[in-house]
Formats: sequence, structure tokens, C-alpha cells
Amino acid sequence: MSSKALRPDGREAAVLREMSIVYERLDRVDGSAKFGFGETKALASVSGPIEVRPTLELPSQAALDIHIRPLASISGTDSKALSANLKGILSPALLLSHHPRTLVQIVGQALCGTDSGSGMGSVGRGWSASLIASLVNASSAALINTGSVPMRGIVCAVAVGRKASESGGTELLLDPSEAELPRLLGGGCFAFFFSAVLSSAPASDTPPCSLLWTNYTTNTPFDEAELERARDLAEAGVREVWKALKESVGTMDASQANIAPKAKKDLEAMEEGINAEDADESDDAKMEI
Amino acid sequence: MPRPPSPSIPEKEFLYSSLKQSLRLDGRNPLEMRTPALTFGPELGWVECALGKTRVIAQVDAKMVKPPPERPLEGIISIHSELSPMASSEYDSGRPSDEEVTITRMLDKVLRRSDVVDKESLCVLAGQRVWHLRLTIHCLADAGNMLDCSCLAGIVALRHFRRPEVEVVGDEVTVHHPSERAPVPLSMHHTPYCLTFAYFPDATILPVLDPSHLEQTLSAGLLTIALNAQRELCVVQKAGGVPLAPDEILRIVGIAVDKAKELDKLVEQKLKEDWAGRTVEVR
Repeated sequence: MSSKALRPDGREAAVLREMSIVYERLDRVDGSAKFGFGETKALASVSGPIEVRPTLELPSQAALDIHIRPLASISGTDSKALSANLKGILSPALLLSHHPRTLVQIVGQALCGTDSGSGMGSVGRGWSASLIASLVNASSAALINTGSVPMRGIVCAVAVGRKASESGGTELLLDPSEAELPRLLGGGCFAFFFSAVLSSAPASDTPPCSLLWTNYTTNTPFDEAELERARDLAEAGVREVWKALKESVGTMDASQANIAPKAKKDLEAMEEGINAEDADESDDAKMEI
Repeated sequence: MPRPPSPSIPEKEFLYSSLKQSLRLDGRNPLEMRTPALTFGPELGWVECALGKTRVIAQVDAKMVKPPPERPLEGIISIHSELSPMASSEYDSGRPSDEEVTITRMLDKVLRRSDVVDKESLCVLAGQRVWHLRLTIHCLADAGNMLDCSCLAGIVALRHFRRPEVEVVGDEVTVHHPSERAPVPLSMHHTPYCLTFAYFPDATILPVLDPSHLEQTLSAGLLTIALNAQRELCVVQKAGGVPLAPDEILRIVGIAVDKAKELDKLVEQKLKEDWAGRTVEVR
């Protein structure tokens, strides 16, 4: 097929870049994680439930406070808009009513540079879809790492790009890299909600998931069928993200950056032994069901 | 978040009594710094600096702007250092805390007003085009002494950064993409380092260098000295109410000189290592 291996880094259209998940163990927050698709990396931290300022306090549930910060400069309107979106994406996954009159605070920090769009602040190309996807996944990983905020599921996200194909139509690419961005004719981030409470059919190895949010936009009109195709492509990709997240939970203690290599090896060996027994158990714990 | 809880009385007494015996809770000597760990990102001008569990990211980017009419021959440097709740939930964004104000002011004094970067070298076309350097500091975790960590990250980021090469023919300015011509390092006058000493209410306790979070919270005053390896003093800032004799300050400056030399050696070595492993494309 002509669409195979056309991408600058030699990937096929439906292949993700290599994912990296590191639990950073930042000192003064409850949980933190770094997630990256290739070099498109984001860091997120979660504190909560903590004491809340009276102005933010809600009588029936925990207040969810999200700050998004670009790598360069201070957060502008685009970052504020993104934090409002992220609030909508993450709140279905959290059981905020379990801790009324408290605060759950999430900070997302873009870690990649000017090429990915965040570096220009509000005058640049804005936040690229891959970076938004990284932020969503980093936040989910940080929430898993925190452990103190009850959740009903996990949100994972992935970006889809739209490119003109050689035959004149359009072609969809999973997880466009920085190098591909200038040639895209649109695209967007797709966030999916994974939870056993959903009624949709589960795949063989992942729980049921459903589309939660997308900002798919193109600069030429698109039809329902194209959106459907983009959704299906994203769903296949996002299942990979879920699996990577699940795998990372097993090595959460070992992924500490400053742990001694030998101790790390011991821990991994230990984890492997444990994992063999309680793979299903850890899955259940994560789903909180 | 409202006021963070202060350390408990046993914690306080334990710290003071151990400091009296010149012992620190993390096993350091009173005048020993946590060894800074510098990590460089994929791009030039992206540096992560860690002092123990205190972690800071500094990033530099440059763009071309028209200079203000009163300074047509100088480039512009701006420093952003907003603390986010990621450093600790006591820093709420929106309202700058005292800590944030101190850090911002000190960064401004150490990195901008002490003439670290040659501003005239940032001028491309007099009155028309100058470089605007933007240094952004992100504090990821506050485990004490964020100021020294931020200053170190900031200065290393400026040293690590390279701006694209520019060609001026008549009135026409061409900016060469890094893939065409190797980017050029910033022209810098000197490399100041910031060193913070904490003083305690009990005068018999000797000052400690690079205080941890608990030490910083329980200290009665901080003395911050910024100087370069050439023994030139840039900033001396004393905050807090501990009275100090002039001799004591001179003694601390003497110690700071040695520490700055050590730091300089470490930074130079790290920068060299990173540069050796990096290929900047030149055709």
C-alpha cells in the first residue's frame, strides 16, 4: 500500500511513537508522573484531597483545580482554556463527591519545546494535539500514583492527524510527531474513558471504553464517516496507551529516578514475581470497582 | 491553600539540638551543599537542575523584536518565574507568596542586572531588530533552597542556549535555521552562582549552607550571596532578623568563594560533557 511507511520517522499510519511513563516522585505533592509520546512529554502532579480556600469550596463535592503551564512564558488564555477542557475530561473519572469541602489540585506542565507549539505562548500555534494527549495521560498516571483520590475509571488520550494523501483524498495518521505537524490539514486529540461501569463491549485485553472528548478540527469540511474513521483509529491507539499505563503501575516503585540501579533490579525481579499472581488484582484496584 | 502547618515542637527541638552538635538531618556537614544534578533536554537551553529533592527546570528561547526607542542598541532579557502548586500546594497561583517575590527579585538581580549576558551583542540592526531572550523557570518540587537551584538552572540554561546565526546585508536580516548554520552561544560576561546560608535563632548554632526545607522553615534568617568564580561579588541579600557582625559576613563570603569555584568547575564539566554528546548540524 502506498500509505505504508510514508512518515518521517518510518512509522506506519496507525502506529504510536514509543511511550515513556516515569513516576517522578516530586517531593511536596501526593502524586506525579511524566508521560511522553516520543519527545512530546508532559509532567503532571496531583495533590488531594487537601484543605481548600473558602472561595473554591463546594459543599457537596471536592473542588477540582487544574493549572496548565506551557514550557516557555507564563500561562496565557490558551492554557487557561485547556485547563477548563481538562477539567471536563478528568472529572467523569473522579469520584469527587466522596470528599466534599476539599480540594483536588492538578498541575500539568508541558516539557517539550517551541516546536510543539506551546513555546510560543498564545501567539504561536497553540497546544498541539499530541501534547494535549500527553498531558491527559500524564494526569491520569499522576492520579494513579496519588492513590488518595477515588476514581471510577481512567482517561487515556491520543492524537490523530489528518494529511492529504497522494491520491488526492485525505489520510489519517495516529499520533503525529512534531516533524509532521506543519504538513497536517487538521486533526485533534481524542480522550477515551476506560471503566468497567461502561456498557460498551470490552476488548479481549482492555476494559470497555468510550469516547469522552475530542477537539478534532480540520481546515476543509469533513463528514461523519471521516470522524468515525478517526475515532476508530484513535480507539485502537488509546488501547495501547491503556496497556502501557497498566504495565507502568507494576513498576511504579522501581521507576523512581534516583533509585540505585542494583536496588532497581531487585525490585523489578520482585515485581515480576508478584505480577504473575496479581495481574487481575491490580487491574481491579485501579478501576476502583 | 491556607497557611501550611508549621513544624511540630519535637521536630523543632530535634533539629536545633542536632544542629548544635553540627549534625544535619540529611547527614551533610554544615557547610556542604547537596551536589547539583544537571540534566539537559533535547533542545538547547533546556536544563533541569536538582539539589536533592528540590527540582527546577529552566528554559531559554529567543525571538526577534523591535527594541524600545530609549534603548535601540540593546537586546531584551525577560525572566518568568511563577511558582505553581506543583512545587508545593502552599504556593497558590494568582497570589504571589513571599517566597515567589524573593525568588523573582533575586533572579532579576543575579541573572539580569548583574550584566550576565552582553546585551549589546543581542542587537542585530540598531533600532530595528534585537533579540529578546526569555528565560522561564519552573519549580517542580520545593525541598528547600529553591532560590539557589533556580539561579543555577537559569545560569546554566543561558550558558547552554545557542541562538540562530543571523546575517545582515544592508537593511536585510536573514536568520539561519540551525540546520543551515551552527547556532552561536550567547556572549556572556561572567557566570554568577547563588549560595544561601541559613541562620538560626540560637546564636551558638553555626550557619548552614543550602538549607533543606525544614531548616529553611525553622531558620531565623537567610543570607544569600551571589558571586562568580573570579571572586566578584554580585548580590548580597540578608533577609530575616538575625543581627550579624561584619566579620561574620566576610567569613561567609570567603566560604562562598570556595563553593562558587567548586560549582563553576562542575558546571563547566557538565556543559562540556553535554556538548561532546550533542551533534549540532552544520552542512
